[in-house]
Amino acid sequence: MLVSILFYSFATILVASGVGVITTRNPVYAALSLVLCFFTSAVLWMLIEAEFLAIVLVLVYVGAVMVLFLFVVMMLDINVEEIRRGFTRYAWLGWIVTATVIAEIVGVIVQRRLGVDVTRGAAPLPANYSNATELGTALFTRYAYAIEIAAVLLLVAIIAAIALTLRPRLGLKVQDVSAQVAVRAADRLTMVKMKPGGGAP
Amino acid sequence: MNPHLLLAIPMLPLGAAILAGLCGKLIGRAGAAAVTILAVAASCVLSVQVLYALLRGSPGFDGTVYTWLISDDVPMRVGFLIDRLSALMMTVVTFVSLCVHVYTIGYMHDDAGYQRFFAYISLFTFAMLMLVMANNFLQLFFGWEAVGVVSYLLIGFWYTRPSAIFANFKAFLVNRVGDFGFLLGIAGVLYYTGSLDYQPAFLQAPQIAGHILHVPGTAGWPAMTAICLCLFVGAMGKSAQVPLHVWLPDSMEGPTPISALIHAATMVTAGIFMVARMSPLFEYSETALSVVLVIGATTALFMGFLGIVNNDIKRVVAYSTLSQLGYMTVALGASAYSVAIFHLMTHAFFKALLFLAAGAVIIAMHHEQDMRKMGGLRKRMPVTYWTCLIGALALIGMPFFSGFYSKDTLIEAVHASHRAGSYYAYLCVTAGVFVTAFYTFRMFFMTFHGESRLDHHAEEHFHDVGWSMKAPLVALAIPSLLIGYYTIGPELFGGFFGSSIRVLPAHDVVAEIGEEYRGAANFAEHSLLQLPFWLAVAGVLSAWYFVLRRPDRAAVLREKAGWLYRVLVNKYYFDWFNENVLARAGRALGLALWRGGDQAVIDGVLVNGSVGALGWFAGRARWIQSGFLYSYAFWMIVGLVLLLGWFLFRV
Amino acid sequence: MITLGHMLTLSAVLFALSVAGIFINRKNVLLLLMCIELLLLSANFNFVAFARFLGQVDGQVFVFFILTVAAAESAIGLAILVVLFRERRSIHVEDLDTLRG
Repeated sequence: MLVSILFYSFATILVASGVGVITTRNPVYAALSLVLCFFTSAVLWMLIEAEFLAIVLVLVYVGAVMVLFLFVVMMLDINVEEIRRGFTRYAWLGWIVTATVIAEIVGVIVQRRLGVDVTRGAAPLPANYSNATELGTALFTRYAYAIEIAAVLLLVAIIAAIALTLRPRLGLKVQDVSAQVAVRAADRLTMVKMKPGGGAP
Repeated sequence: MNPHLLLAIPMLPLGAAILAGLCGKLIGRAGAAAVTILAVAASCVLSVQVLYALLRGSPGFDGTVYTWLISDDVPMRVGFLIDRLSALMMTVVTFVSLCVHVYTIGYMHDDAGYQRFFAYISLFTFAMLMLVMANNFLQLFFGWEAVGVVSYLLIGFWYTRPSAIFANFKAFLVNRVGDFGFLLGIAGVLYYTGSLDYQPAFLQAPQIAGHILHVPGTAGWPAMTAICLCLFVGAMGKSAQVPLHVWLPDSMEGPTPISALIHAATMVTAGIFMVARMSPLFEYSETALSVVLVIGATTALFMGFLGIVNNDIKRVVAYSTLSQLGYMTVALGASAYSVAIFHLMTHAFFKALLFLAAGAVIIAMHHEQDMRKMGGLRKRMPVTYWTCLIGALALIGMPFFSGFYSKDTLIEAVHASHRAGSYYAYLCVTAGVFVTAFYTFRMFFMTFHGESRLDHHAEEHFHDVGWSMKAPLVALAIPSLLIGYYTIGPELFGGFFGSSIRVLPAHDVVAEIGEEYRGAANFAEHSLLQLPFWLAVAGVLSAWYFVLRRPDRAAVLREKAGWLYRVLVNKYYFDWFNENVLARAGRALGLALWRGGDQAVIDGVLVNGSVGALGWFAGRARWIQSGFLYSYAFWMIVGLVLLLGWFLFRV
Repeated sequence: MITLGHMLTLSAVLFALSVAGIFINRKNVLLLLMCIELLLLSANFNFVAFARFLGQVDGQVFVFFILTVAAAESAIGLAILVVLFRERRSIHVEDLDTLRG
């Protein structure tokens, strides 16, 4: 009972903040609405007893990705006035498409075409069930290779992002190490034979 | 018979040719001459040895020396068929080649391409030997083409001369036309026997003759006739029969030694040899043999006429060669193959002799070839004079000389034949005797007798030739004199050729003549009462009259005969036709195809057209790329919705 | 009781919202990127729901990967956006049409 109430209330907040994301004029407000979406999703996932992922969602998505979004939003210094002239003449088509998508997906679910009974509840979990342990076991055994690849993907993303946006500072005096190393003694020093006692060479 | 020794016969000249050709500078002029002469001399000795062994009763050799490849169950091999026929040819080829090699030392003495020349004539010897020793069509064709290539190289030896380049190109192209027919003939044999070797074709000849070749649009051609006609087209090209004769007079652009070697004694006789070798096939096609007969007769007579009006000493001998090749072809057409080969042999000797003598005269006259500027050379070049006289008498068929025996037997054989066209052939060859005598002695008298018409320049530089050039003349004069008398009996009537030539009993005219044969001397005496002899004498006398006695009459005759003279001088307009009709049509066709096909279709439609079409299409299609992020997203989502709908509502 | 149907419906709603967001937003590329995040969130919802209700943990594992990919993609997307802003001084979607054919 409690679970249902929690579910419905948080679901409502989720949908409302989602609508907020797409309709707000101010991009900062939009980003913050998205953060609220993620928080409520995390709660909902906890209700489903996928608590590890819920925390991960908050830490990674909100903590990293959305922070990044906010950085960029602040940095770009966007003129809010301009954006106010926002709504497009295709809005009506957008709502129609939205309704269609919802109808289709729900239709799929309701008409029992998924091959699984969608009206039953979840099976109860055993007493010593630990979501983290289960997830960890799977990740370290069956999906170990995939995780490595995902790590490489992140590395590539880092490099790509830096490569795209790095602006070298102008007027910087930098040492050219390879030129320094390639110097030969003959370039710096010349031995001159001088007669002892007297006169310029 | 040792296959290795047989292999040495063609390979020695080849090796010498490669040495002289590639290392010419290294081994020097003397070295090139020495190595090639030694190689050809060795081949000659070995060939004589082979011939001798065969005469002694050795069974000959028919086998494969090397298998090159096997394609589609047809093996392509290098093999030798050594029987009486090929041994005879080998001996003739190597002997004449040796004489020409020695002659070249003197003739090409001042030429910069000395080693190259030796390499070429050695290479030619190799190619000709491969041709005559072959035991399968592929090798025959290889030799055929190879001699054609070397002939091309040699005709255009002085390649900076435009006329030489024109001539060698012409020779090669006309030969090619013949080779096309030849290939068709070989293909026909391959089709019916499934093999390129001679023996299966010879054994299956009667069966092949029973087949009908189905040609769309006609009722079908008898297979053997079609094959033999195609093979004969090849012989027409190589042995310069009408209408593929046009290359031979132009081939006189090459140095005289090669005119002697290639265009008198050996290469042009390849066609004759081939038909004789294919006698088991030709015997089964009356039509083909009749065609051979008619074409040969036409060549024999009408080419002789051209020799009468020409003033270039080499060209007169060239037309003589054409005429004599016609004679040999007539003999083949009359099923007298052995006579044809006999005439081939004697002709090789005396014609080579005549060419080399002409070459000696040319060198002595410091490269002057026009007979109108010669005269009275008799006392100044005695050896040349006497050897040339022997050759001329042999050519016109004076009794006891070698040419007499072969020619007269030939005329008798044609007379005895009952084949369609044989009467026409008989008339042609008999009339040809007069014509031959006339132009031969016209040439002889103009060059050696009478007043000296040498101009100032020639007088200054005149010198008789050295012994390197005279020795071959003598060496060739001896067989021209004697070989007929001694070999006619055994060769024609003594079964010399044995199984290498097959004649069906119904056609065997040589056997018919043989019944009346009473020995060489008797043959000669008997002929003194026959028509050919008197025609020959009449020819000599006419020549004497018009050249020495009343030259003004000759000029008058030339005037009177106006148009006839013009036709003869223009060589019956064959060259005009080839150059202005065929060549021009070919060039026009090429141009039309280039413009219409290459430029318009391939470049225009296919290449540029496809690019253009693609460009046009891309130009239209690029408007889909609006660059507008929003519309891309829009279309993606619309697509997604449709996809979902499809998933949902498909039945 | 929360059923699978509830979760899936919720996820469908989120998905539809993000699609609508892409449609109706024309002036702000940032909003576009945020809608993509919402889209990925709805997918994640689906995965978690199925993982729970079918008793397998693989669905949750996949959420990890989606998280990774989403993070990488938003990082690079924002980097591109920043560079674009430096050049153009504008983030209007309509102005980004230089790739016009």
